[in-house]
Amino acid sequence: MKLTRRKRNMALITMTPLVDVMMILLVFFMVTSTYLDLDMMPMVQSEAESTGAPGTPAATLLIRITSDGNARLRGQPLTAANLATALQDEPGTRVLILPSGGSNVQGLVSAIQTATEAGAENLRVVRLEAPE
Amino acid sequence: MKLKRRNPPAPQETIVSLIDVIFFLLVFFMMVGRMDATAPFEVSPPVSTAGESLPKGGTTISVAEDGQMALDGVAVAQNDLLTRISSLLSEDQSLFVRINAHGEARLTNLLPLVTALEKAGVQDVVLVVTPNPV
Repeated sequence: MKLTRRKRNMALITMTPLVDVMMILLVFFMVTSTYLDLDMMPMVQSEAESTGAPGTPAATLLIRITSDGNARLRGQPLTAANLATALQDEPGTRVLILPSGGSNVQGLVSAIQTATEAGAENLRVVRLEAPE
Repeated sequence: MKLKRRNPPAPQETIVSLIDVIFFLLVFFMMVGRMDATAPFEVSPPVSTAGESLPKGGTTISVAEDGQMALDGVAVAQNDLLTRISSLLSEDQSLFVRINAHGEARLTNLLPLVTALEKAGVQDVVLVVTPNPV
């Protein structure tokens, strides 16, 4: 009598551990990530990129930022409209922002934004020297 | 005689589609996210819609509301910070520096730093802003 060995069933590869691992990875990335929408404003640019023709003295407008963070132009609160009016007289006017050291970063950024909205192209921030 | 009806085998649930979805989500989060060292203190950048898009790469200096500073997620004193920046600059002349300052940080903590960076020879310094308040 011939005995035939029954064929064994092929071992099934279980997907469950794989799914578990992927789920853990997914949850890890979702929990540890903070999603921020970030932009930037240039503070220092290489000479090649900086605008403004050297040697041509242009009129200058000064925007002051007070220690409470409010920007003022010619004694008036800075708005895009009054800066645009001031810029209309002489296009290419250099706009200087003179911040008070006591002001906060938001005050400076808001002033730069207003100046950009008003169409200021030659915009500079007067920087304080590092204490020796 | 009582006939016993055999229970039909339960249909196997396919988890393949579930794996597909999880995999897509995983890849999505890995693609859209940019791994960045976070500062050891709270930093919420100033809000502005006038910003330009932030390029990738570079080194990040974080400035806290009280003036504490961190370089790529590690708290450092300002003198050490400038030394480290100088050594980074000697490796890469076109070093790109991002300053991630808290919106309420004082300019006396920020502007002298920018001046010092420029003196050290950094030619590309940007201030991080956000168009949407956090």
